[in-house]
Amino acid sequence: MTGMREHQLSADINETRDSADMLRQELKKEINRLNRFSIRGILALALFLGVSILAWWGFVFLPAPEAVITLLGKPPTAGIISIVLLLYTFSAIILSLSRMASGLEHRSSFSHVGYLTAFFLFYYYGKSLEENYWAVFGAGITILGIESYRIWTFCAESIAQKKEDLEFVTRTGRPPPQE
Amino acid sequence: MFATLAGKALVPVGLAVTGFMVVCCLILYSVIREDFHRSEIVYASNLADTILKSTRYAMHKSDRDTLATIIRNVGEQRGVDHIRIFNKKGIVRFSAKPGELDRQVDKNAEGCIVCHQGAVPVTNLGTMQQARTFRNPDGLDVIAITAPIYNEPDCSSAACHVHLPGQKILGTLDIGLSRAEHARSLAMLRIQMIIFTIMSLIITIGGVTALLRKNLFLPVQRMRNYADISTEKNDAPDPPSH
Repeated sequence: MTGMREHQLSADINETRDSADMLRQELKKEINRLNRFSIRGILALALFLGVSILAWWGFVFLPAPEAVITLLGKPPTAGIISIVLLLYTFSAIILSLSRMASGLEHRSSFSHVGYLTAFFLFYYYGKSLEENYWAVFGAGITILGIESYRIWTFCAESIAQKKEDLEFVTRTGRPPPQE
Repeated sequence: MFATLAGKALVPVGLAVTGFMVVCCLILYSVIREDFHRSEIVYASNLADTILKSTRYAMHKSDRDTLATIIRNVGEQRGVDHIRIFNKKGIVRFSAKPGELDRQVDKNAEGCIVCHQGAVPVTNLGTMQQARTFRNPDGLDVIAITAPIYNEPDCSSAACHVHLPGQKILGTLDIGLSRAEHARSLAMLRIQMIIFTIMSLIITIGGVTALLRKNLFLPVQRMRNYADISTEKNDAPDPPSH
């Protein structure tokens, strides 16, 4: 009888140890994932800077605006594009701040690079890129700067939490208490 | 700085407000600059029309002395870079700069090529297409208008000198105005916008800091002091009011 109880206890200890090891592995994996995710904003910013350099050079590899205008018709005026850019910048900042406030993990940085590239292209084909280059550049730096900060702070806080959990699991062999 | 509560509150707000202000200012600056440019063209075009109307009588009478005097006087006006009238063959007949007289104008030059790029020269252009901007040899930015002098019924039927009725254009007036004043206004606008943005940033950061201090940091500090005193003494004072 005592032998059976000891055997049961030993099985329970082994099971607990296995589940703690699994939890530790999961926490380590999650920390690594968050570490990788934390540079997403910076990567998007770097990509945007690359696009901005191409725009600064006047998109030499693209077909001339006249050819595209012949194909697609007259582009919207610079004034209309500027109004849309302003609305987009406002919305993107508000969205990013809301996500920051509610602590959401959202992966939107690269889509912003796409939208900003589209603004560069619209201005380019509207033949007003030179006059409006800095407006798009400023909007990009602002939006992607806030996004980078949001992602970085989210990851830093999550990593700190996961490290605490890992330390708790290592120390006690039990899963961390849920908040 | 980023790890503190103040940093966490101020960095996103400062970045968002300043960034948005900068984008607004850049777009506004671009729109104002475009408006300035249009106004400059309209002003130069109106000036060219006024000069053409002022010289019309002298042209009818073929009074070259009066015409040359008008052109010279306009050329002496402050802000006028150049003024010249050339005939259909592109030879400068009147100019405020005597050195330019009787010189042939290159039809492929900027300002001429707009009309002369085809086999048959274009005779009607919009105001915006008549304008060109360039930097003169002295390094000053100039906006120039080329206004065609059209043949009219009283030109082709005048008693003194007759142009054939089929001849559409008799010559061209070319007037260039300095853009120094325009550049000065834009520079002033840029400075005002930069000051405005910096002031907005200071007010935003100042406002957020003041609110955080009043509503968060000071109550937390009072709570901390209360907790310290409570730990040290048994007869703790009353807890601070929020």
